Order: sequence, then C-alpha cells, then structure tokens
Amino acid sequence: MSLLSVKNLRVTFDTEAGVVEAVRGVSFELGRERLGIVGESGSGKTMTGRSVLRLIRPPGKISADSMVFDGQDLMAASERQMRALRGPRIAMVMQDPKYSLNPVMKIGAQLMEGLRQRDKVSAGEAHEKAVEALEAVQIRDPERVMEAYPHELSGGMGQRVMIAMMLIPNPDLLIADEPTSALDVTVQAEVLSILDGLVRNRGMGLIFISHDLRLVARFCDRVLVMYKGRVVEELAAKDLLAAKHPYTQGLLNCLPRIGGPRQPLPGLDRNADWAV
Amino acid sequence: MQIGRCDMALIEIDTLSVTFNAKGRKVQAVKGVSLAVAARESYGLVGESGSGKSTILRAICGLAPISGGSIRIGGQVFDPKAGKAFAARVQMVFQDPYASLHPRHTIDRTLSEPLAIHGLGDTDARVMRALDDVGLPRNFRFRFPHQLSGGQRQRVAIARALMLEPEILLLDEPTSALDASVQAETLNLLNRLRAERGLTFLMVSHDLAVIDHMCGRVLVMQHGQAVEELTRDQLAGAQMKTDYARSLFAASADRLLAG
Repeated sequence: MSLLSVKNLRVTFDTEAGVVEAVRGVSFELGRERLGIVGESGSGKTMTGRSVLRLIRPPGKISADSMVFDGQDLMAASERQMRALRGPRIAMVMQDPKYSLNPVMKIGAQLMEGLRQRDKVSAGEAHEKAVEALEAVQIRDPERVMEAYPHELSGGMGQRVMIAMMLIPNPDLLIADEPTSALDVTVQAEVLSILDGLVRNRGMGLIFISHDLRLVARFCDRVLVMYKGRVVEELAAKDLLAAKHPYTQGLLNCLPRIGGPRQPLPGLDRNADWAV
Repeated sequence: MQIGRCDMALIEIDTLSVTFNAKGRKVQAVKGVSLAVAARESYGLVGESGSGKSTILRAICGLAPISGGSIRIGGQVFDPKAGKAFAARVQMVFQDPYASLHPRHTIDRTLSEPLAIHGLGDTDARVMRALDDVGLPRNFRFRFPHQLSGGQRQRVAIARALMLEPEILLLDEPTSALDASVQAETLNLLNRLRAERGLTFLMVSHDLAVIDHMCGRVLVMQHGQAVEELTRDQLAGAQMKTDYARSLFAASADRLLAG
C-alpha cells in the first residue's frame, strides 16, 4: 500500500485580479521511496509539497478528489488531527535556514522546544536527544552548535540543523523543499547522503523538491516534472537526462556544461500547448 | 590566453590575508592568496563554502579586514577612503537578489542613487537606458523589489552595478539563487554586457560548469588558500595537478559536456 496518495490536487488563490491556479490537477502515489519534483519557480512544486501538510494560507484554497496519507484522509482531517500529523508523521524541511529558524533563539532551544512541548520529556533528556540529532546529521561540535544563534552558523550548518530538527520525531514522510539549493557541491553531497541514509535505514518516504535536474536525476527514484501547475512528465530518475518532453529537454539544455561551447545558452521555449 | 603576474594586470592581489576577530578568536579566512586579472579578462574563483572566495571580493571592496598583502586596481594601491573614485571603477553584484536590494526603495530610486551621489546628471535617460540594457520593461521603473521575480531582481542588481559605468564587476555567485532557465538568461546577459562594454569580471561560484562557461581562467581555493590555477582548456581537459581540484572536478562530473 502506498504511503501517500494524491488525486487531482488543486490549489487556487482568489486575488483581486481573479482566480490564480497555482496547482492544477496533480496526482501521484508515493511509497517508501525518493520522489523528486522538479520545475521552475512558479511551477507549483512548493505549493504541491505544502498542500500535503495543508499549509496553504488564505486566500489560498486546496481541493482534491482524494489525499490519503497512511490510510488517513487528509482532506477530511480536522485542524487538530492535522497538527498531530505535522512533525511526528509528516515533516517538512524548508528552503532557507536564514528565514526558517528563529533568529533570536539558540539552536539548542529550538531543537528542544518540540520535545519539551509535544513529548513532555525532561530538560536533560531533551538536551541529550537534540545533541544526538545533531550528531546524526554529522555536525562535529554539537554542544557548541546548541549554544549558537542561527546567524552564527553557515548555510550548510543551518540546513543540517533544520534536517536534524525535522528528524527528531522520526517522521514517516519527509518533504524537503530545495534542501540543498543554498549549499555548495561538497556540502550538498553530505546532506544528500544523510537523507539517503534515512530513507534506507528508517524506511522513510521522501518528496524532494528541487530545480536542479542533474541533482534529482542522481538522487531520486522517480521524478515528476511540473510546469504551470501541472505534471507534464513523470519518469524514472535514471531516464531524466534522456527526457522526451520538450519542456524537460529545455530545462536540461539551458544548463552550462564544462567544456561546452561559449555561445549564449539556449533559453527556454515556453510553448503554451504544454500547459493546456 | 595565459596571462601571468605582469605589470599590465588590472586587478593585482599580492599575498592577501584576511583575518576576522570572532569572539576573541582570530579566524584567518584568506591566507596569502595572489592573483592577477588582466583588463577585459573574466577570472573565476571556485571552492566550497568557507574557502574564502567571497571574502576576497569583499576585501577588494573594503568590506573585509585585510591583515596582510595588498590589492592594486590599475596599479594603484586600494584605499578604502577612496570612496567615490573607487566605486566608479569597481562594482559588485551580490548572491542574493532578495537581500541585496533595498525593500522600500523603488527600482528608480535604487538605480538613480549612485548618480545622485556622484553628481551625474541626465538621471532620467540613464535609468531608462539601464533598464533597456538589462532587458527589463520600462514600466518596471516604479516598482518595488517585492513586485519582481528573483531573476528580475538580479537584473536590477546588475543594472545598479553598471550605473556608474565601472570597468570591473565583482560577481559573487550571481546566479546560484536562480532557476536553471533564469540562470541561463542572466549568464547570457552578463556575457553580452562584458562584450559590449569591455568589462573585467572577477566571479565567484561553486558551480564549475558556470565558471567554465563564463571565465578564461579559474583559481581553485580551499581553506582560505589558493590550491591551483587552471585555464579553461586545462579545466575541460581535466588536467589538474592537485588532488583537491581533481575531487572538485569529480563532484561536478554530471556537469560535463558528454554527461
């Protein structure tokens, strides 16, 4: 049985200029695997990820024929039931540690907050678990990081802190929204191997949202390519670099390559037919 | 095009060291790095985060404390107090277009402020021309940054840097916050502007493919030190001499032309 099943998901925003459809009929199934969602900014990939947690603020509205997580209907769940799912069962890693961590709270306090509030563990035990979580994401000096404020950490450290925070309650599904876009190649590889280990060892499901096609091709099992709120192509990650759809090909062709010609990079040919 | 350390270089950096004071601890971010960039050249700095590549750009602008060595622009030793004269020659484009534009200034104000500071007239025409040059519609002039996309903001940042018609652009990861398609547009724009205006680029990136596309030579950095300098042909031909440069190249294997 699949862990998450989404059928005909739509996200609409009622704005002064009329109704904007950010996601238009997205359907997918997720098992205990790594599913990549790629597309440009504005393609609706982040909105799709947030919809699973029902984290769309008004005036945004979510509708779907069905959205079932582990036998539980997410569309029918009360706000109270959703709160019980967010964190312990489904966790989300946001894009930018600079904006997602509380700037005036020490890392340690942020990591322990959930444990203290939700799991009602003692301060000592919470501290121990937080340090363990930091060690799990390969932070070398966890005690120092516990006492640091977010601005004292580099981007890579901040991102690992966020992953550590999401993994403390041991979720079944992790939605990672551009978790490595702010990181450079070497740190990126570290963060990916951490995520990879978690999928393998804990049997976690992973939705990996990214605009980096080469990264997704290497890291995921299956990929959805999104354009203007729709899935234009779904394929196995290993076939991504040989994609058939002109939009996916266009995304690949506009990447510079080492040893490539010096002429201007091809732009993306946006054909309205794909979006219909 | 191999240009050694010669008197003709536009940017000469000689055994530069930068030391930060962090909670009483001295952190040496750049350790004795030397490089020379000729006029109209495009030179790349590549390395992992914390390797000191951005710090070198910041040191050139006087945004980082220099603890040793020297920086010369066009043969002159750089003086942080030079202010206006320096700004007219050297400008910087920062990584994050969301953070580098004043959120409460319109595009018009952002672009015309350098003109006002330098007492340059003809503001109206210059702002319009700047928007045209970077391919932004003229009706964007009175918008605020939050009304633009990331790629459009980065175009504004590039337009702002070019308002004073500098010779040198320092580019700190100008496209790493952008999508693939927008990155392609921005890189094409930078290359076109360099060709049209004879600009000199000193560009930082962690993406070897971007550096390869944009630069004639590249300096690989690690832990604040220069590891190896490569020409574009050496990079494409994987002719690096040091293990670190090779490992960086291997980590970018999916960015090769054949891959």
